[in-house]
Amino acid sequence: MNSLRIFFVGGLTSYRALFNWLTPWILVPTFLLTPLFQIFLFVYIGRTAGVSDDRFFLIGNAVVNAAVPCLFAMGNTIGGERNFGTLPLLIASPARRVPLFLGRALPVILNGFLVAVFALLVGALVLRVDIPPATWGGIAVAIAVCSVSCTGLGLLGAAIALRVRETAVLSNIALGILIVFAGVNVPVDAMPGWMQAVSGWLPMTHGIEAIHALASGRSVGSVGGALLTEVGLGACYALLGLAVLRWLEWESRVRATLDTA
Amino acid sequence: MVCVAQPVIQVDELARTFRSRKGLFRRTGKEVEAVKGVSFAVERGELFGLLGPNGAGKTTTIKMLITLLMPTGGQARVLGHDVVDDARDVRRKVGYVFGGDRGLYERLSGLDNLRYFAELYGVPPRESKQRIAELLELVGLDGREKERVEGYSRGMRQRLHIARGLLHRPEVLFLDEPSIGIDPVGARELRATVKNLVDTGTTVLLTTHYMFEADELCDRIAVIAQGRIVALDTPAGLKQQVATGSVLEVDVFGLPDGVVEKVRAEPDVLAVAVEVQGQAEVLTVHARPGTDVTP
Repeated sequence: MNSLRIFFVGGLTSYRALFNWLTPWILVPTFLLTPLFQIFLFVYIGRTAGVSDDRFFLIGNAVVNAAVPCLFAMGNTIGGERNFGTLPLLIASPARRVPLFLGRALPVILNGFLVAVFALLVGALVLRVDIPPATWGGIAVAIAVCSVSCTGLGLLGAAIALRVRETAVLSNIALGILIVFAGVNVPVDAMPGWMQAVSGWLPMTHGIEAIHALASGRSVGSVGGALLTEVGLGACYALLGLAVLRWLEWESRVRATLDTA
Repeated sequence: MVCVAQPVIQVDELARTFRSRKGLFRRTGKEVEAVKGVSFAVERGELFGLLGPNGAGKTTTIKMLITLLMPTGGQARVLGHDVVDDARDVRRKVGYVFGGDRGLYERLSGLDNLRYFAELYGVPPRESKQRIAELLELVGLDGREKERVEGYSRGMRQRLHIARGLLHRPEVLFLDEPSIGIDPVGARELRATVKNLVDTGTTVLLTTHYMFEADELCDRIAVIAQGRIVALDTPAGLKQQVATGSVLEVDVFGLPDGVVEKVRAEPDVLAVAVEVQGQAEVLTVHARPGTDVTP
Protein backbone atom coordinates (compact mmCIF):
# COMPACT_ATOMS: atom_id res chain seq x y z
CA MET A 1 0.00 0.00 0.00
CA ASN A 2 2.77 2.39 0.95
CA SER A 3 4.65 1.56 -2.24
CA LEU A 4 1.51 2.42 -4.24
CA ARG A 5 1.24 5.77 -2.46
CA ILE A 6 4.91 6.48 -3.07
CA PHE A 7 4.36 5.58 -6.73
CA PHE A 8 1.32 7.79 -7.33
CA VAL A 9 1.24 10.50 -4.65
CA GLY A 10 4.99 10.70 -4.15
CA GLY A 11 5.63 10.79 -7.90
CA LEU A 12 3.28 13.72 -8.41
CA THR A 13 4.54 15.62 -5.36
CA SER A 14 8.17 15.28 -6.40
CA TYR A 15 7.26 16.46 -9.91
CA ARG A 16 5.71 19.61 -8.41
CA ALA A 17 8.66 20.02 -6.07
CA LEU A 18 11.49 19.66 -8.52
CA PHE A 19 10.51 21.40 -11.73
CA ASN A 20 10.74 25.13 -11.98
CA TRP A 21 9.26 25.16 -15.45
CA LEU A 22 5.77 24.69 -14.06
CA THR A 23 5.32 28.46 -14.11
CA PRO A 24 3.54 29.60 -17.31
CA TRP A 25 6.46 31.86 -18.28
CA ILE A 26 8.71 28.84 -18.56
CA LEU A 27 6.20 26.15 -19.49
CA VAL A 28 4.66 27.86 -22.52
CA PRO A 29 7.89 28.70 -24.40
CA THR A 30 9.59 25.42 -23.48
CA PHE A 31 6.82 22.98 -24.22
CA LEU A 32 4.50 24.76 -26.60
CA LEU A 33 6.46 27.25 -28.70
CA THR A 34 9.88 25.67 -29.11
CA PRO A 35 8.52 22.41 -30.59
CA LEU A 36 6.50 24.43 -33.12
CA PHE A 37 9.55 26.46 -34.16
CA GLN A 38 11.50 23.23 -34.61
CA ILE A 39 8.70 21.76 -36.74
CA PHE A 40 8.45 24.88 -38.94
CA LEU A 41 12.23 24.99 -39.42
CA PHE A 42 12.54 21.41 -40.61
CA VAL A 43 9.36 21.47 -42.69
CA TYR A 44 10.62 24.51 -44.60
CA ILE A 45 14.10 23.02 -44.97
CA GLY A 46 12.43 19.84 -46.26
CA ARG A 47 10.33 21.81 -48.71
CA THR A 48 13.37 23.70 -49.99
CA ALA A 49 15.47 20.58 -50.34
CA GLY A 50 12.60 18.52 -51.73
CA VAL A 51 13.66 15.59 -49.56
CA SER A 52 10.27 14.49 -48.26
CA ASP A 53 6.74 15.73 -47.71
CA ASP A 54 5.63 18.03 -44.87
CA ARG A 55 3.98 15.19 -42.96
CA PHE A 56 7.28 13.35 -42.56
CA PHE A 57 9.01 16.29 -40.90
CA LEU A 58 5.93 17.25 -38.90
CA ILE A 59 5.58 13.81 -37.31
CA GLY A 60 9.28 13.31 -36.54
CA ASN A 61 9.82 16.73 -35.01
CA ALA A 62 6.54 16.77 -33.08
CA VAL A 63 7.10 13.36 -31.51
CA VAL A 64 10.77 13.88 -30.68
CA ASN A 65 9.76 16.83 -28.51
CA ALA A 66 8.25 14.37 -26.04
CA ALA A 67 11.89 13.62 -25.27
CA VAL A 68 12.40 17.07 -23.71
CA PRO A 69 10.44 16.32 -20.51
CA CYS A 70 11.17 12.59 -20.71
CA LEU A 71 14.95 13.10 -20.70
CA PHE A 72 15.43 16.38 -18.86
CA ALA A 73 12.71 16.08 -16.23
CA MET A 74 13.57 12.48 -15.50
CA GLY A 75 17.29 13.29 -15.27
CA ASN A 76 16.36 16.08 -12.90
CA THR A 77 14.67 13.71 -10.45
CA ILE A 78 18.13 13.21 -8.95
CA GLY A 79 19.83 16.42 -10.11
CA GLY A 80 17.02 18.53 -8.64
CA GLU A 81 17.26 16.73 -5.31
CA ARG A 82 20.95 17.53 -5.25
CA ASN A 83 20.27 21.21 -5.95
CA PHE A 84 17.73 21.44 -3.13
CA GLY A 85 20.02 19.53 -0.75
CA THR A 86 17.35 16.87 -0.28
CA LEU A 87 19.31 14.04 -1.91
CA PRO A 88 20.87 12.81 1.37
CA LEU A 89 17.40 12.76 2.95
CA LEU A 90 16.02 10.78 0.04
CA ILE A 91 18.87 8.28 0.20
CA ALA A 92 18.61 8.01 3.98
CA SER A 93 14.87 7.29 3.77
CA PRO A 94 13.62 3.70 3.96
CA ALA A 95 11.36 4.14 0.89
CA ARG A 96 11.61 1.38 -1.71
CA ARG A 97 13.54 2.69 -4.67
CA VAL A 98 11.58 1.02 -7.50
CA PRO A 99 8.18 2.66 -6.75
CA LEU A 100 9.96 5.84 -5.70
CA PHE A 101 11.67 6.39 -9.04
CA LEU A 102 9.11 4.72 -11.32
CA GLY A 103 6.46 6.92 -9.69
CA ARG A 104 8.51 9.94 -10.65
CA ALA A 105 8.35 8.73 -14.26
CA LEU A 106 4.55 8.80 -14.42
CA PRO A 107 3.96 12.61 -14.56
CA VAL A 108 6.96 12.90 -16.87
CA ILE A 109 5.41 10.42 -19.34
CA LEU A 110 2.15 12.36 -19.31
CA ASN A 111 4.07 15.61 -19.81
CA GLY A 112 5.95 14.19 -22.81
CA PHE A 113 2.76 12.80 -24.31
CA LEU A 114 0.91 16.12 -24.06
CA VAL A 115 3.82 18.09 -25.53
CA ALA A 116 4.04 15.81 -28.57
CA VAL A 117 0.26 15.66 -29.15
CA PHE A 118 0.00 19.46 -28.92
CA ALA A 119 2.91 19.95 -31.33
CA LEU A 120 1.49 17.45 -33.82
CA LEU A 121 -2.02 18.87 -33.64
CA VAL A 122 -1.10 22.53 -33.92
CA GLY A 123 1.64 21.80 -36.46
CA ALA A 124 -0.84 19.91 -38.66
CA LEU A 125 -3.38 22.73 -38.44
CA VAL A 126 -0.92 25.52 -39.16
CA LEU A 127 0.90 23.72 -41.97
CA ARG A 128 -2.34 22.22 -43.36
CA VAL A 129 -0.96 18.70 -43.20
CA ASP A 130 -3.64 16.09 -43.70
CA ILE A 131 -3.70 13.46 -40.97
CA PRO A 132 -7.01 11.55 -41.21
CA PRO A 133 -9.11 11.91 -38.02
CA ALA A 134 -9.59 8.13 -37.84
CA THR A 135 -5.85 7.65 -37.36
CA TRP A 136 -5.48 9.98 -34.36
CA GLY A 137 -6.42 7.33 -31.78
CA GLY A 138 -3.68 4.97 -32.93
CA ILE A 139 -1.22 7.85 -33.23
CA ALA A 140 -1.98 8.88 -29.64
CA VAL A 141 -1.22 5.34 -28.45
CA ALA A 142 2.05 5.34 -30.38
CA ILE A 143 3.03 8.74 -28.94
CA ALA A 144 2.30 7.41 -25.43
CA VAL A 145 4.53 4.43 -26.14
CA CYS A 146 7.31 6.75 -27.36
CA SER A 147 7.00 8.79 -24.14
CA VAL A 148 7.23 5.65 -22.02
CA SER A 149 10.30 4.31 -23.80
CA CYS A 150 12.06 7.68 -23.80
CA THR A 151 11.39 8.04 -20.07
CA GLY A 152 13.15 4.69 -19.64
CA LEU A 153 16.24 6.30 -21.13
CA GLY A 154 15.62 9.33 -18.87
CA LEU A 155 15.65 7.05 -15.83
CA LEU A 156 19.09 5.85 -16.86
CA GLY A 157 20.13 9.51 -17.00
CA ALA A 158 18.66 10.07 -13.53
CA ALA A 159 20.72 7.18 -12.19
CA ILE A 160 23.91 8.61 -13.66
CA ALA A 161 23.08 11.87 -11.85
CA LEU A 162 24.06 10.12 -8.63
CA ARG A 163 27.62 10.29 -9.92
CA VAL A 164 27.61 13.26 -12.34
CA ARG A 165 26.37 16.69 -11.35
CA GLU A 166 25.51 18.17 -14.77
CA THR A 167 22.73 15.92 -16.04
CA ALA A 168 21.44 18.53 -18.50
CA VAL A 169 24.59 18.01 -20.58
CA LEU A 170 23.89 14.28 -20.83
CA SER A 171 20.23 14.91 -21.66
CA ASN A 172 21.21 17.37 -24.41
CA ILE A 173 23.54 14.81 -25.95
CA ALA A 174 20.83 12.12 -25.78
CA LEU A 175 18.31 14.49 -27.39
CA GLY A 176 20.79 15.31 -30.17
CA ILE A 177 21.36 11.61 -30.81
CA LEU A 178 17.61 11.03 -31.05
CA ILE A 179 17.15 13.92 -33.51
CA VAL A 180 19.92 12.54 -35.74
CA PHE A 181 19.41 8.78 -35.45
CA ALA A 182 15.74 8.12 -34.60
CA GLY A 183 14.29 8.84 -38.04
CA VAL A 184 13.13 12.34 -37.09
CA ASN A 185 14.46 14.24 -40.10
CA VAL A 186 16.21 11.52 -42.08
CA PRO A 187 14.36 8.29 -42.90
CA VAL A 188 16.10 5.37 -41.22
CA ASP A 189 16.19 3.53 -44.58
CA ALA A 190 18.26 6.36 -46.05
CA MET A 191 20.93 6.16 -43.33
CA PRO A 192 24.22 4.30 -43.68
CA GLY A 193 24.22 0.78 -42.23
CA TRP A 194 26.00 1.68 -38.98
CA MET A 195 23.53 4.50 -38.30
CA GLN A 196 20.61 2.14 -38.92
CA ALA A 197 22.15 -0.29 -36.41
CA VAL A 198 22.35 2.48 -33.80
CA SER A 199 18.83 3.76 -34.50
CA GLY A 200 17.36 0.30 -33.95
CA TRP A 201 18.48 0.45 -30.31
CA LEU A 202 17.17 3.92 -29.59
CA PRO A 203 13.82 4.85 -28.08
CA MET A 204 11.49 6.70 -30.48
CA THR A 205 12.82 5.10 -33.70
CA HIS A 206 10.23 2.32 -33.82
CA GLY A 207 7.47 4.54 -32.46
CA ILE A 208 8.04 7.26 -35.07
CA GLU A 209 8.12 4.59 -37.76
CA ALA A 210 4.77 3.29 -36.47
CA ILE A 211 3.24 6.79 -36.45
CA HIS A 212 4.29 7.35 -40.06
CA ALA A 213 2.57 4.09 -40.99
CA LEU A 214 -0.57 4.96 -39.00
CA ALA A 215 -0.80 8.43 -40.56
CA SER A 216 -0.65 6.89 -44.02
CA GLY A 217 -3.70 4.80 -43.18
CA ARG A 218 -2.34 1.53 -41.86
CA SER A 219 -4.06 -0.17 -38.91
CA VAL A 220 -2.82 -0.26 -35.31
CA GLY A 221 -2.49 -4.04 -35.60
CA SER A 222 -0.06 -3.72 -38.48
CA VAL A 223 2.33 -1.62 -36.38
CA GLY A 224 1.95 -3.75 -33.25
CA GLY A 225 5.42 -5.25 -33.67
CA ALA A 226 7.08 -1.83 -33.88
CA LEU A 227 5.19 -0.61 -30.81
CA LEU A 228 6.09 -3.72 -28.82
CA THR A 229 9.73 -3.25 -29.76
CA GLU A 230 9.48 0.36 -28.60
CA VAL A 231 7.97 -0.69 -25.25
CA GLY A 232 10.59 -3.44 -24.87
CA LEU A 233 13.42 -0.98 -25.46
CA GLY A 234 11.94 1.43 -22.92
CA ALA A 235 11.63 -1.38 -20.37
CA CYS A 236 15.28 -2.38 -20.99
CA TYR A 237 16.48 1.20 -20.43
CA ALA A 238 14.32 1.54 -17.31
CA LEU A 239 15.63 -1.74 -15.86
CA LEU A 240 19.18 -0.71 -16.67
CA GLY A 241 18.46 2.65 -15.02
CA LEU A 242 17.16 1.01 -11.83
CA ALA A 243 20.18 -1.31 -11.72
CA VAL A 244 22.62 1.58 -12.21
CA LEU A 245 20.71 3.58 -9.60
CA ARG A 246 21.09 0.77 -7.08
CA TRP A 247 24.77 0.37 -7.84
CA LEU A 248 25.57 4.09 -7.75
CA GLU A 249 23.59 4.56 -4.54
CA TRP A 250 25.72 1.89 -2.91
CA GLU A 251 28.86 3.41 -4.43
CA SER A 252 27.91 6.88 -3.21
CA ARG A 253 27.93 5.54 0.35
CA VAL A 254 31.32 3.95 -0.20
CA ARG A 255 32.94 6.88 -2.00
CA ALA A 256 31.06 9.72 -0.31
CA THR A 257 29.93 11.24 -3.60
CA LEU A 258 26.42 12.32 -2.62
CA ASP A 259 27.40 15.84 -1.62
CA THR A 260 30.37 16.28 -3.85
CA ALA A 261 29.57 14.78 -7.26
CA MET B 1 16.38 -13.91 33.96
CA VAL B 2 18.16 -10.58 34.11
CA CYS B 3 17.76 -8.29 31.11
CA VAL B 4 20.67 -5.99 30.48
CA ALA B 5 19.66 -2.97 28.43
CA GLN B 6 21.69 -2.66 25.27
CA PRO B 7 22.91 0.81 24.31
CA VAL B 8 20.73 2.40 21.65
CA ILE B 9 23.85 3.46 19.75
CA GLN B 10 27.00 1.39 20.04
CA VAL B 11 30.06 2.67 18.20
CA ASP B 12 33.31 0.70 18.23
CA GLU B 13 36.52 1.98 16.66
CA LEU B 14 34.54 3.64 13.86
CA ALA B 15 36.74 5.12 11.16
CA ARG B 16 36.28 6.82 7.84
CA THR B 17 38.95 7.76 5.33
CA PHE B 18 38.11 9.88 2.29
CA ARG B 19 40.07 9.31 -0.88
CA SER B 20 40.00 11.95 -3.59
CA ARG B 21 41.77 12.20 -6.92
CA LYS B 22 42.35 15.23 -9.08
CA GLY B 23 43.99 16.05 -12.39
CA LEU B 24 42.98 14.90 -15.85
CA PHE B 25 46.07 13.01 -16.99
CA ARG B 26 48.44 12.80 -14.05
CA ARG B 27 45.86 11.97 -11.43
CA THR B 28 47.08 12.47 -7.92
CA GLY B 29 45.39 10.89 -4.97
CA LYS B 30 44.85 12.29 -1.51
CA GLU B 31 43.66 10.57 1.64
CA VAL B 32 42.03 12.30 4.57
CA GLU B 33 41.27 10.41 7.77
CA ALA B 34 38.13 12.23 8.92
CA VAL B 35 37.27 9.83 11.74
CA LYS B 36 40.05 7.82 13.38
CA GLY B 37 38.51 5.04 15.40
CA VAL B 38 35.94 6.61 17.70
CA SER B 39 34.07 4.57 20.30
CA PHE B 40 31.10 5.51 22.45
CA ALA B 41 27.71 4.24 23.51
CA VAL B 42 24.44 6.12 23.90
CA GLU B 43 21.80 4.82 26.30
CA ARG B 44 18.04 4.95 25.71
CA GLY B 45 16.53 8.35 26.47
CA GLU B 46 19.91 10.03 26.68
CA LEU B 47 20.86 13.29 25.01
CA PHE B 48 24.40 12.67 23.89
CA GLY B 49 26.53 15.41 22.41
CA LEU B 50 29.43 15.32 19.98
CA LEU B 51 31.25 18.58 20.57
CA GLY B 52 34.09 19.78 18.41
CA PRO B 53 35.30 22.43 15.98
CA ASN B 54 34.49 22.42 12.27
CA GLY B 55 36.21 19.54 10.50
CA ALA B 56 36.55 17.49 13.68
CA GLY B 57 34.60 14.53 12.23
CA LYS B 58 31.19 15.09 13.84
CA THR B 59 29.11 15.11 10.65
CA THR B 60 31.06 12.22 9.17
CA THR B 61 30.32 10.19 12.30
CA ILE B 62 26.62 11.00 12.09
CA LYS B 63 26.52 10.19 8.38
CA MET B 64 27.92 6.75 9.11
CA LEU B 65 25.33 6.20 11.84
CA ILE B 66 22.39 7.13 9.60
CA THR B 67 23.76 4.90 6.78
CA LEU B 68 24.66 7.70 4.37
CA LEU B 69 28.33 6.74 4.50
CA MET B 70 30.02 3.38 4.84
CA PRO B 71 32.70 3.21 7.52
CA THR B 72 36.18 2.27 6.37
CA GLY B 73 36.92 0.75 9.75
CA GLY B 74 35.24 -0.38 12.95
CA GLN B 75 31.54 -0.93 13.35
CA ALA B 76 28.40 0.71 14.67
CA ARG B 77 24.98 -0.55 15.68
CA VAL B 78 21.87 1.59 16.06
CA LEU B 79 18.97 -0.01 17.94
CA GLY B 80 20.74 -3.33 17.49
CA HIS B 81 21.04 -3.00 13.70
CA ASP B 82 24.37 -2.87 11.97
CA VAL B 83 24.65 0.38 9.99
CA VAL B 84 26.23 -1.43 7.03
CA ASP B 85 24.35 -4.72 6.86
CA ASP B 86 20.92 -3.60 8.09
CA ALA B 87 20.78 -0.13 6.58
CA ARG B 88 17.04 -0.20 5.81
CA ASP B 89 16.15 -1.24 9.37
CA VAL B 90 18.23 1.62 10.72
CA ARG B 91 16.61 4.09 8.31
CA ARG B 92 13.10 3.12 9.39
CA LYS B 93 13.82 3.84 13.03
CA VAL B 94 15.99 6.93 13.07
CA GLY B 95 15.40 10.56 12.23
CA TYR B 96 17.99 12.93 10.83
CA VAL B 97 17.99 16.71 11.00
CA PHE B 98 20.81 18.91 9.81
CA GLY B 99 21.39 22.62 10.11
CA GLY B 100 21.35 25.24 7.40
CA ASP B 101 18.97 26.47 4.75
CA ARG B 102 18.93 23.49 2.42
CA GLY B 103 17.21 20.11 2.50
CA LEU B 104 13.66 21.27 1.81
CA TYR B 105 11.59 21.56 -1.37
CA GLU B 106 11.47 25.33 -1.80
CA ARG B 107 8.54 25.41 -4.22
CA LEU B 108 6.31 23.31 -1.99
CA SER B 109 4.53 24.52 1.12
CA GLY B 110 5.76 23.44 4.53
CA LEU B 111 2.72 21.18 4.73
CA ASP B 112 3.47 19.49 1.39
CA ASN B 113 7.09 18.99 2.42
CA LEU B 114 5.91 17.17 5.53
CA ARG B 115 3.32 15.16 3.58
CA TYR B 116 5.96 14.01 1.10
CA PHE B 117 8.45 12.93 3.73
CA ALA B 118 5.63 11.19 5.60
CA GLU B 119 5.10 9.11 2.45
CA LEU B 120 8.81 8.34 2.20
CA TYR B 121 8.87 7.16 5.81
CA GLY B 122 5.75 5.05 5.43
CA VAL B 123 3.55 6.99 7.85
CA PRO B 124 -0.01 5.72 7.22
CA PRO B 125 -2.17 8.42 5.56
CA ARG B 126 -4.73 8.50 8.41
CA GLU B 127 -2.02 8.95 11.03
CA SER B 128 -0.06 11.34 8.86
CA LYS B 129 -2.62 14.16 8.98
CA GLN B 130 -2.83 14.14 12.77
CA ARG B 131 0.92 13.69 13.19
CA ILE B 132 1.71 16.62 10.91
CA ALA B 133 -0.73 18.85 12.84
CA GLU B 134 0.91 17.82 16.13
CA LEU B 135 4.40 18.53 14.81
CA LEU B 136 3.46 21.88 13.29
CA GLU B 137 2.20 22.89 16.70
CA LEU B 138 5.29 21.49 18.43
CA VAL B 139 7.65 23.52 16.26
CA GLY B 140 5.43 26.60 16.18
CA LEU B 141 4.65 26.58 12.47
CA ASP B 142 0.91 26.07 12.72
CA GLY B 143 -0.79 28.76 10.67
CA ARG B 144 2.21 29.11 8.33
CA GLU B 145 2.15 25.58 6.93
CA LYS B 146 0.46 26.48 3.64
CA GLU B 147 3.11 29.02 2.67
CA ARG B 148 5.87 28.04 0.27
CA VAL B 149 9.14 27.20 2.00
CA GLU B 150 11.01 29.68 -0.21
CA GLY B 151 9.40 32.43 1.90
CA TYR B 152 10.39 30.92 5.26
CA SER B 153 13.03 32.46 7.50
CA ARG B 154 16.07 30.40 8.46
CA GLY B 155 14.59 29.68 11.89
CA MET B 156 11.30 28.53 10.37
CA ARG B 157 13.16 26.23 7.99
CA GLN B 158 15.10 24.75 10.86
CA ARG B 159 11.91 24.11 12.80
CA LEU B 160 10.39 22.50 9.71
CA HIS B 161 13.49 20.30 9.52
CA ILE B 162 12.87 19.17 13.09
CA ALA B 163 9.23 18.39 12.30
CA ARG B 164 10.32 16.43 9.21
CA GLY B 165 12.79 14.41 11.23
CA LEU B 166 10.09 13.45 13.75
CA LEU B 167 7.31 12.46 11.34
CA HIS B 168 7.75 8.71 11.78
CA ARG B 169 8.25 8.91 15.56
CA PRO B 170 11.92 7.87 15.41
CA GLU B 171 13.37 6.16 18.45
CA VAL B 172 16.66 7.92 17.83
CA LEU B 173 17.07 11.42 16.46
CA PHE B 174 20.35 12.65 15.00
CA LEU B 175 20.71 16.42 15.09
CA ASP B 176 23.68 17.69 13.12
CA GLU B 177 24.43 21.27 14.19
CA PRO B 178 20.73 22.18 14.23
CA SER B 179 21.20 25.71 15.56
CA ILE B 180 23.80 26.78 13.02
CA GLY B 181 23.00 30.15 11.48
CA ILE B 182 19.82 30.90 13.41
CA ASP B 183 19.40 33.89 15.71
CA PRO B 184 19.75 33.59 19.52
CA VAL B 185 15.99 33.59 20.11
CA GLY B 186 15.44 30.91 17.46
CA ALA B 187 18.31 28.86 18.89
CA ARG B 188 16.84 29.10 22.38
CA GLU B 189 13.46 27.90 21.09
CA LEU B 190 15.17 25.09 19.27
CA ARG B 191 16.96 23.99 22.43
CA ALA B 192 13.64 24.01 24.27
CA THR B 193 12.16 21.79 21.55
CA VAL B 194 15.08 19.37 21.82
CA LYS B 195 14.67 19.21 25.60
CA ASN B 196 10.98 18.39 25.14
CA LEU B 197 11.85 15.58 22.78
CA VAL B 198 14.16 13.98 25.30
CA ASP B 199 11.46 14.33 27.95
CA THR B 200 9.16 12.29 25.71
CA GLY B 201 11.70 9.46 25.59
CA THR B 202 13.47 10.10 22.29
CA THR B 203 17.17 9.36 22.31
CA VAL B 204 19.08 12.23 20.75
CA LEU B 205 22.60 12.44 19.37
CA LEU B 206 23.48 16.07 18.85
CA THR B 207 26.54 17.55 17.20
CA THR B 208 27.51 21.11 17.89
CA HIS B 209 30.51 23.35 18.10
CA TYR B 210 28.83 25.62 20.65
CA MET B 211 30.08 24.69 24.12
CA PHE B 212 27.22 26.40 25.92
CA GLU B 213 24.69 24.48 23.81
CA ALA B 214 26.29 21.15 24.65
CA ASP B 215 26.54 22.17 28.30
CA GLU B 216 22.89 23.23 28.49
CA LEU B 217 21.40 20.27 26.65
CA CYS B 218 23.52 17.16 26.91
CA ASP B 219 23.56 14.44 29.54
CA ARG B 220 27.00 13.42 28.32
CA ILE B 221 29.39 14.97 25.85
CA ALA B 222 32.13 13.44 23.73
CA VAL B 223 34.67 16.04 22.71
CA ILE B 224 35.95 15.22 19.25
CA ALA B 225 39.00 16.79 17.62
CA GLN B 226 40.82 15.77 14.46
CA GLY B 227 38.76 12.62 14.18
CA ARG B 228 39.39 11.33 17.70
CA ILE B 229 37.41 11.51 20.91
CA VAL B 230 39.63 13.34 23.35
CA ALA B 231 37.24 13.43 26.32
CA LEU B 232 33.90 11.89 27.23
CA ASP B 233 31.96 12.74 30.38
CA THR B 234 29.02 14.67 31.79
CA PRO B 235 29.23 18.44 31.30
CA ALA B 236 30.13 18.86 34.98
CA GLY B 237 32.77 16.12 34.75
CA LEU B 238 34.32 17.69 31.66
CA LYS B 239 34.48 21.08 33.32
CA GLN B 240 36.16 19.48 36.31
CA GLN B 241 38.76 17.86 34.04
CA VAL B 242 39.79 21.11 32.42
CA ALA B 243 39.57 23.32 35.51
CA THR B 244 42.88 25.05 36.05
CA GLY B 245 41.55 27.54 38.51
CA SER B 246 39.01 30.30 39.04
CA VAL B 247 39.46 33.74 37.56
CA LEU B 248 37.70 36.76 38.95
CA GLU B 249 37.76 40.10 37.19
CA VAL B 250 36.72 43.23 39.10
CA ASP B 251 36.28 46.64 37.49
CA VAL B 252 37.40 49.26 39.97
CA PHE B 253 37.83 53.02 40.05
CA GLY B 254 40.67 54.24 42.25
CA LEU B 255 42.07 51.06 43.73
CA PRO B 256 43.21 51.82 47.34
CA ASP B 257 46.87 51.27 48.21
CA GLY B 258 47.69 47.86 49.71
CA VAL B 259 44.63 46.03 48.37
CA VAL B 260 46.57 44.12 45.73
CA GLU B 261 49.11 42.93 48.30
CA LYS B 262 46.33 41.96 50.69
CA VAL B 263 44.54 39.85 48.06
CA ARG B 264 47.81 38.29 46.94
CA ALA B 265 48.48 37.20 50.53
CA GLU B 266 45.30 35.06 50.62
CA PRO B 267 46.27 31.33 50.74
CA ASP B 268 44.20 30.19 47.69
CA VAL B 269 45.15 33.06 45.42
CA LEU B 270 47.75 32.18 42.80
CA ALA B 271 48.22 35.52 41.10
CA VAL B 272 46.85 39.05 41.01
CA ALA B 273 47.17 41.56 38.20
CA VAL B 274 45.93 45.08 37.62
CA GLU B 275 45.34 46.54 34.17
CA VAL B 276 44.38 50.14 33.45
CA GLN B 277 41.47 50.48 30.99
CA GLY B 278 40.64 54.15 30.40
CA GLN B 279 39.62 55.70 33.67
CA ALA B 280 38.96 52.32 35.28
CA GLU B 281 41.23 49.53 36.43
CA VAL B 282 40.60 45.81 36.10
CA LEU B 283 41.72 43.67 38.99
CA THR B 284 42.22 40.07 37.88
CA VAL B 285 42.51 37.39 40.54
CA HIS B 286 43.62 33.84 39.69
CA ALA B 287 42.74 31.34 42.43
CA ARG B 288 43.06 27.58 42.97
CA PRO B 289 40.41 25.30 41.31
CA GLY B 290 37.17 25.15 43.29
CA THR B 291 37.97 28.19 45.39
CA ASP B 292 35.27 30.79 45.89
CA VAL B 293 37.09 34.09 45.63
CA THR B 294 34.04 36.30 45.61
CA PRO B 295 33.49 38.33 48.80
